Parts: sequence; C-alpha cells; structure tokens
Amino acid sequence: MSVLSAVPLAAETAVLWVALLIPSLLGLLAWRFPPQRMRPLLLVITPLPLATFWLLHRVAMGGELEGVWSLGELLLYWRLDGLRGLLLLLTQLLLLASATYAVGHRRAIAVAERTFAGFWPLLGGLATALGIIWVAADLLTLYVALELMGLCAVGMMLLPGKQAALVAGMRYLLYALVGSLAWLLGVALLLGVSGRLDLSGLAATTQPGTVTSIAMALLAAGLLLKAAIFPLHGWLAPVHASAWTPVSALHGALVVKASFFILMQLWQRLVPEAVAAAWLLGLLGSMAVVWGGLQAWRAQALKQVVAWSTVGQLGYLMLAFPLLAGTSAAVATLAWQATWLQLAAHAMAKAAMFMAAGNLVLAAGEGRLTDLAGTSRQLPFPLMTFGIAAVTLMGLPPSAGFTAKWLLLQAAILAGQWLWVAVLVAGTLLSAAYVFRVLRCAFVEDATRQEVQPLPAGMNLIALLLALAALGLGLGADWPLALIRAGGMP
Amino acid sequence: MSGGVLLLATLCTSLFTALLIFLLPERAFRARTGLNLGAALVKLTLVAWMVWGLSRGHAYALEFPVLEGLAFVLRADALGIMFAGLSSLLWLFTTIYAIGYLEDSPNRKRFFGFFSLCVASTLGISLAGNLFTFLIFYELLTLSTYPLVVHRGTAKALAAGGVYLRFTLTAGLVLMIGMIALHVLAGDIRFGEREILAGLDLDRRPLLVGLFWVLIAGFGVKAALVPLHGWLPRAMVAPAPVSALLHAVAVVKAGAFGIVRLVYDVYGIELSAELGLLAGLVAVASVTILYGSLRALAQQELKPRLAYSTVSQVAYIVLGIGLFGPLGTIAAFSHLLHQGLMKVTLFFCAGNYAEELGIHRIDDLDGAGRRMPLTSLAFTVGALGMIGLPPVVGFFSKWYLGTGAIQAGMPWVIAVLVASSLLNAAYFLPILGRLWFLPGPDHGVGEWPEERRLGRLETHAWLLVPAVATALFSLVAGLLAGMPFSPLEWATRVVNTEYLP
Amino acid sequence: MSLPEELFPASLLVFLAAACLLDRHLLRACLAFIAFALLMSLAWWRLDAPWLALVEAMLGALLTGLALFHGLGYPGTRPSLPVHDQERRPRHEAPVRWLAALVWLTLAGVAVWGISGDGELVASDELTRQPLLATGLAIMALGLWAFAHHLHLLRRLLAFNVLGSGVFLLLAGLAGPSVEVQGLILVGLVVALIGSVLGAALLRRLHALDGRVTLGVEADERR
Repeated sequence: MSVLSAVPLAAETAVLWVALLIPSLLGLLAWRFPPQRMRPLLLVITPLPLATFWLLHRVAMGGELEGVWSLGELLLYWRLDGLRGLLLLLTQLLLLASATYAVGHRRAIAVAERTFAGFWPLLGGLATALGIIWVAADLLTLYVALELMGLCAVGMMLLPGKQAALVAGMRYLLYALVGSLAWLLGVALLLGVSGRLDLSGLAATTQPGTVTSIAMALLAAGLLLKAAIFPLHGWLAPVHASAWTPVSALHGALVVKASFFILMQLWQRLVPEAVAAAWLLGLLGSMAVVWGGLQAWRAQALKQVVAWSTVGQLGYLMLAFPLLAGTSAAVATLAWQATWLQLAAHAMAKAAMFMAAGNLVLAAGEGRLTDLAGTSRQLPFPLMTFGIAAVTLMGLPPSAGFTAKWLLLQAAILAGQWLWVAVLVAGTLLSAAYVFRVLRCAFVEDATRQEVQPLPAGMNLIALLLALAALGLGLGADWPLALIRAGGMP
Repeated sequence: MSGGVLLLATLCTSLFTALLIFLLPERAFRARTGLNLGAALVKLTLVAWMVWGLSRGHAYALEFPVLEGLAFVLRADALGIMFAGLSSLLWLFTTIYAIGYLEDSPNRKRFFGFFSLCVASTLGISLAGNLFTFLIFYELLTLSTYPLVVHRGTAKALAAGGVYLRFTLTAGLVLMIGMIALHVLAGDIRFGEREILAGLDLDRRPLLVGLFWVLIAGFGVKAALVPLHGWLPRAMVAPAPVSALLHAVAVVKAGAFGIVRLVYDVYGIELSAELGLLAGLVAVASVTILYGSLRALAQQELKPRLAYSTVSQVAYIVLGIGLFGPLGTIAAFSHLLHQGLMKVTLFFCAGNYAEELGIHRIDDLDGAGRRMPLTSLAFTVGALGMIGLPPVVGFFSKWYLGTGAIQAGMPWVIAVLVASSLLNAAYFLPILGRLWFLPGPDHGVGEWPEERRLGRLETHAWLLVPAVATALFSLVAGLLAGMPFSPLEWATRVVNTEYLP
Repeated sequence: MSLPEELFPASLLVFLAAACLLDRHLLRACLAFIAFALLMSLAWWRLDAPWLALVEAMLGALLTGLALFHGLGYPGTRPSLPVHDQERRPRHEAPVRWLAALVWLTLAGVAVWGISGDGELVASDELTRQPLLATGLAIMALGLWAFAHHLHLLRRLLAFNVLGSGVFLLLAGLAGPSVEVQGLILVGLVVALIGSVLGAALLRRLHALDGRVTLGVEADERR
C-alpha cells in the first residue's frame, strides 16, 4: 500500500485537524451557552462524522495519510489509515449520540443548568483527546492525549457531586495518575535506548532485549491500569455506579479502549515476538472474562451489571495478543480484524446498554434488578434496546459481536489454541446468564408497578439506534474489515 | 421480479410485520390482526410463487460477503422451499389460532411481535444457503422464542425459559464451534457442494467424523434427540399456539432440518454412509423414538404426552435420514411436513380443550367428543395419523420408512417401527376412547373443570377453524398423496432431482 | 561539574523528599515539598533547561503548593483538615500494593543499570548522568513506598508528586535535556499540577461532606 504522498494533501490534513479540534471548541461554546434541545445539537455535530467519512473514502482510494507537525525543534508525527479513520468515525458517532442524549438527560434528572454546563467542555476535550490518540504516531503526542483524556474522564465522573461519585472519582484519579507515571517511566527507558519517540522510528531502532522488555512492561502496566484490565479493574465499577448516563456510555464505550489501542500499537511495534508475555496478557484477559462475567451475574443494581460486563468484555480484546504473537499470517489477520470489530461492536452496544439502563432506572425510579418486574409492559422501548444491545454483548447473530466472535474463534481454532475457545465459550455463557437475569426480571407479571416517569423520546431513540447499529454492523462488516485489512498490521 | 428480490421480500414480510407490531400501540387490536393475517397471506403467496417458479426451473439466490471468504447466502432450493412452504402455511393457521387464543390477554403486542420474528427466523433457516447463514437464523430463532416461552411471566414459565435458554444457547455455541472448525478445514461450503468434503484427504476423515457428531449434538438439542430433549417437555408451560409453533413449525423442525442439511447438503449422503455416520444416526433415532413413546405413555396430562410424542415423532425424520437410499430420504423429507401438519392439529385441539373446558388431564376428557365434536374429530385424525393408519399422511411416512429400512439393509428398524406404532396406539387410543366412548359431563356424569362457552360454535371460531383446517390438510395430503405439489410428491421430486445416491 | 559538586544537591533533594513524605505534620510536609520543588527547579536550571526550571518553579512549587494548602484548608476556617495525619495502616494490609511497588522499582533499577552499564546512553556526558539516575531512583523509591503505605489522601498526593519528580529525573538522566525530554517533563508537570489541584479540591469536599481524609476501607476490599 503506497503512502498517498510524502507531504500529505493539504485539504485532507486540514479537514483532519479541524475534525479533531472542533469538538473542543464546541464544548467551550456549549459551556457558555448550554444547548437546550437535541435537534440543533444534532445538526451541529453531524458534519464531523461526514468529514471523517470523506477522509476514509480518500484513505480507501489512496492508501494512508501521514505527516509531521513541527513545534520548534520538536517533531510530532501523525498518521491516518483505515483502522484509525474508522475509530475516529466511531468516536464521532458516539460523541454525537452521547451529546444529544445528554440534553435529554439533563432535563430528565432535573439538575441545575450551571451544574451540568461543566459537562460540555469536558466532553469536547474527551472527544479531541480520543481523536488524537487514534491518529498520533509518537509517544509524546500520545502522552498528551492520554492525559487529557484521563483528566477529562475523571472530571466528568465527578460532576454529579455526590459523595459516592467523589470517592470513586478520587480513586480513579489516583490510579490514572500513577498509571501515567508508569507510562512515562517506560517512555523514558525507550528514549534512553533509542533516542526517539516516533513509533515507526522506535520500531526500526529498538532491539529486543531486557531494557525494551522492561520498558514495555512498564508501559503495559500503566495502560492496563487505565484500561481496567483484570486485575487492575477495581476502579471501574464504582466509578460507573454514580456517574451520569452519557458519561458512563462514552467511558465504557471508548475511554477504556483507547488505552488498549495504544498498548496494541506499541506491542506490535516493539515486542511482536514476545510469545510468553502475550500469553500472559491473554490469560489476564481470560480471567477478566470470567471474573467480570461472574461479578455482573452477582450484581444487584442494573448499572453495576452493565459496568461489570465491561470488565468481562474487555477481556475478549486481550485474547488478540496471544493470537497475534508468533502465529501464522492467516491467524494474525483473522485475530486483527476480530479485535477491532469486537471493539467497535462493544463500543456501540455498551453505550446503547448504558443509555437503555439509564432510561430504565430514570423512568422506573429504581436501580435494582428486582424492581424491574413488569417493566416489559410499561417500558418496552428501553427494554428492547437493552435486549438488542445484549445480543451484541452475548455475541449472538446477526450482531457484530457474533461476527467478531466468529473471527476470533476461527483464529483460535486455526492456531490450535483451544484455551481461548474455552474462554470464549465461558464468556458467552456468562454474558447470557447476566443478560437474561435482567430480562427475566422484566417478564415477571405478578408485580404491580407504580407510575413511570416519561422521558424525552429522543433518549430512547438514540439508544435504540446505537443498539441497532451494533446489530447491523454484524452483517455489514465487509466494508470496515476491508479497510482494516488494507491498512495492514503495524 | 428478480430472484433475489423475491427472496428478500419473503423474508422481510415477517421482519417488517414484527417491526410494525412493535411500533403499534397495545390497544390497536384490529390493525395488528389485519397486519398479522395480511402478512401471513402475502408470505404464503410469495412462497407459492417460488414453488411454482422452482418447478419451472427458475433460480432464487441472493448473497453478499460478510467476512473474507465467507458470505451471507440466501437461496431457495427445492428442499428449502418445502420447509418454507410448511412454515408459511402453518404460520397462517397458528396466527389465526393465536389471535383467538390470546383474546383479551395482556402483552399481546409483545407476543405477536416475537411471534413474527420467530417465523422470520424459521423462513431464514429454510432459505439459508450455507451453514453461516443457517446459524444466524438458528440463533435468532432461539432469541425470538424465549419471550414466547416465558410469555405468561409465572415462576414456572420463567424457570422453563431458563432451562430452554441453557439448552439452546449451549447448543448454539457447540454448533458455532463445529461450523467454524469445518470452515477452517474446508472453507465456505454452500449447501449442495457435497464434493468439497468428499474430496478432502483421507487422513482428514476422522476429523470429519468428529465434527459431524459435534454438529449433530448442536442440532440435536433443538431436534430434541435423547438425551438432549430435556427442555421440550418443560416448555409446555407456554401458551398453546407457542407449543404448536415450537413442536410443529419452528424450533424442533429447525433442528431436524439442520440435520437434513448437514447430512444431505454438506457431507452428502454417500460420504456419510462411507464414514459410517448413518448407522449412528439410526441408532440415536431408534433410541429416541422408543424412549419418547415410553415417556409419553407415562404422562397423565395431555400436553406433556403430546410433547413426548413430539420427541419420538421428530426422531422419525432423523431415522429416515439415516436410512441410506431414496426411500428413506423420501420418508425423512415427507415426514418433515407430515409431522408438522398432524402435530399442530393435536396441539390446537389440546389448546381448545383447555380453553373451552379447562381440561389439562387426560382423565378429564371423558365424553368430550359429544361436547366438542369437531375438535375431537380433528384430534382423532391427528392421533390416527401419528399411529400411522391410512389414509392420514402419517401412514405414508411409516410405509416409506419401513421400505427404506429394507432398502438400506437394516430390517431390524422395522421392529423399532412396529414397537413404536404399538406404543403410539397405546397412548393415543385410550384418549380417543375417552373422547368418544366414555360418558362425560354432557352425558350427565361429573362436570367439566372450567367450562367457558367461548362462542356460538363448540368453542371460539378462531380456535376451531385452524384445528379443523390442519386436520383436513393432513387427511387430504394423505388421500391425494400422488397428486403434484402434495408433500409426498414434492419430497419424491426433491429426492429424484437432487439427492439420488 | 564533578561528582562531589553534584553530591550535595542530590542528597539534599533526597532528604527533602524524605522529609516531605515521612512527616505526619501535614503543614510541614507541604512546606518540605515546596522546598523540594524549588530545588528541582534549580536542578533543571543547572541542566541547561531554563524554561523547565521556570515551569517547575511556577507550577511545581508555587501552584501545586497553593493547591496543597487549599486542600489542607486555611487555618481557622471551619472545614480545615486536622494538621496531623492520624491514619495508620494495619501491617497485614495491601501486600499487593507493596508487591507492585517493589516490582516497579526492581524493573526500573534493572533497566537503568542495563542502559547505563552497557554504555548505551545516547548522550555521552556520563558524569552528570549517574548522580541524576541515582537520585531519581532514590526519590522514586521514596515516592512508591509512600504511595503504597499512606492512607491519608493529601499524603498520597504528595507521594504522587514526589514519585513524578523521581521519574522526571530518571528521564533527564537517561536521555539528557533534549527537546523531547523537556516536552515530556513539561506535560508531566502540567498533569501533576492538574491532578494535585483536582485531588486537593476533592479532598476538601470529601472532608466537608463526612469528615473523611481517606478513601475508606470497604473500597480497598473491593479491589
């Protein structure tokens, strides 16, 4: 695949950076003038995914866009290929969904406008940070974006101002800060060995050895902490318990995955042949699948079920490491596609599920599972949304979760690594167990329900659309997967 | 209309019906009824059109790639369209029945929405052109039947739903792993490309045998093969139209149809015979037939007895598959349709007794023939068909199974058939005797458990008509078995054109 | 610059870090931290990174110091924190944290030894590097110990800041005061400041809500 040109076309570059920075500007604007209705917001944000779509189209035609941005002597690298473009598109679609949802959510929870206004700049900053993480190609830019993302996420989690939110947020803050120091130390070691920070340069100059391994271990530790991978997941569930729904949706969908994305980038470039370490990561992922599933099964509150299911589902992504390390090209290609499809599927489905769960809790006024009895009659739409999102999480057809699982199983069977097949089976059954535990409650007929609070129709609609998108991606996976294949592996 | 569009239209008839029903408000009873019946009729017409087109040599296919080297394929072949025709026809009657059965009960919107989704999945299963597509609709069927099974929302229904899910989801996973392993071994196999597996190296043969049994285990749960049948009797708590759907049209049939596809269209009957798989199938089927019949004999309530009878009857299909030779194949294909017609009749009748008279136990049925003559007649036709008496269609299934057994060189199967027919008679004839010959409340002996007088006829017209109609169909299909487009004739044609060993 | 000349500021840095982390009197600990940050700023100055020195003095010493004092509460105002840290951790608690801290330190030590021992250092001026690396490791060790051991949130914030400074020193020691290093440290300083401000504000708020100065025990069990 040829690079479009050494100096990328000006128009594409400009569109990319505008698309990256616009969310922050919009966020600041919304801080001053908080949006009151969903529709204008929809109109303002929709051009973003359209622009990214155009970029993707250009990338599909002519290969990748690459560039250097010089800041005095400092050189910052960026790069846009199919995978990164798709992730950017996903981010913008979820930004669109959660921003629009947030307008309705503010009305429904009846919080003061000024209290809620802080949400907007943080949301914008988060979207920009995520976008930069996808396109950044050197460790300094990644560091800046990672920290911006982490701090914005912490800030958003703190917004409700309740005591539980503050305690959970404080813990999240401490973990995030320590995680970023581990990351920085890893970067320091790499810089000491090779003297450069750009990813392709690092890949070219770094020799496998003790120092590289240690650097990678520190980087991985920091990133795994931020990605809430077992056993460093302790902060995740409490944080979601008291956060606002649109925040939970975006956090569960993308923020934890950004760290995973960076880890995957670095791993593939620095230690692609480290089989034992990759198996260790795979085992951690397996334990995450089982532990997260069990905790979600045991959880009493609806939002906790959804939050713990994130811990479990992130485990699936970790299975990519052993399937990519030291396996044949066919296996690696399958695992590579499976990982990103799973990431996208889970992102959309988890956002939809958080929103659906938030709607159920808001409308029914109760957060416990047993209080959902009989809701299938009064709240069919959020429940249906929850169900459709759950289809993706369980990996049942025709959802993208199913297609991703098919690929992952195919890779595992082709590689003869049957352990991961067992993990996927266990994960599927566990997720079915906790999902149907929720749905089962809704089918109970003998409970009489009180009034339900009516919610803006848009809130249900956005969640439903996201859930349907995750479902539709299953059979429409050919186009994104072709783009990802064309981009190749780092 | 081009082939692909017609296929898509047929599939979307039920899908869009489901969608519209979910969007309609709960109280829109008339609109929902109209939509249900209209869609059922439209779909039946479309399927009939395709049957006619297929007999004229048209081809209907639609496919697009989903993954590298794997496509979503819809294709109407003679075998698939046979199953599609059955499900569309029975859907029409089951819909009519369900509308009458659920009159004035809550959650009808949810019920009919998932009901349509369930039928869309069944249609997808029949039109799927490869294992991947088959699996998609097969799992969709699991998901869409769960809300129907737990529809009543009682603790018992929810427990049954849990058991159902545990069985079917696990089976779905087993199936998925088997299919992926097959895919890794041989690539994307379209139904009918039997030469792919037959052309594999000889040292892959043991692997093929293993995968076959993995896949059979996956299909066997829905087909309720012993010992994987545990969910079926418990799912009896569902409303009667759902039971009819589970037993006659959708779930159990989907499993059996999957086995048919696997043996005839993926492995091919010759390869299956070469690998010695057929003998195993016959053994499993024989055990299931006898076990199901014995358990049915032990039941004191009507619906569980019918449920165990399903376990045994669906195994006839598997038995037919296992009998190498055209006659066995004809038996398998035609019984796929025959069992559907007869079983749906029996369940409709059981539902009628329960709704009109509150009868659940068999010993409450005394003299019901006088109180509900048409329902009882329909039940009699279905029961006699199950036993295998001419001229009801069941006779032909057993006849072809018997001759097929001789052709395949397994004469001992006839003993199984005779034993099973005797057992069938043993558990159906006493019911018929109670219905017609024992004195009951209408003769002034005792009283009905819960009589409701639902209509001017012996029961609600919406309940009566489907039962009588399907009974008539099973009778007429037997009487006119030699006519074109009868189930038996179509099955013979399918075998002669595509599956001659 | 020769080795003995470096020894004094280096040991002073370690001493101040220890003072800041060991003192249960929180006001004194904060003052020690400000002195520590000012000395760090001096170190940057001597490493020919005047901008970094300025930023360290402004953000690291001045603003972080203000934030910490804010978190402590102004003497006399009602929701001010007790000046002494009374929290004591039972000995058997949190072996996992200790393990993590030890692993971290060992890894860093081995890697630093590996890089400097093999003469792999990109920058050649080894004489200034070795005290920097040693000081960085020592400060990092102190910070890790304190972060793992302390319960009081303000002390954990202090520990985080000291730990960060240790990492910065290592960074400078490993790669020299190049423009990339300065960029990384700059970002790190800003992040540390924001983290401290946020943490201090949270601590004040939590203390005002229910008088707590730690994250609480039940939370530790859930991990």
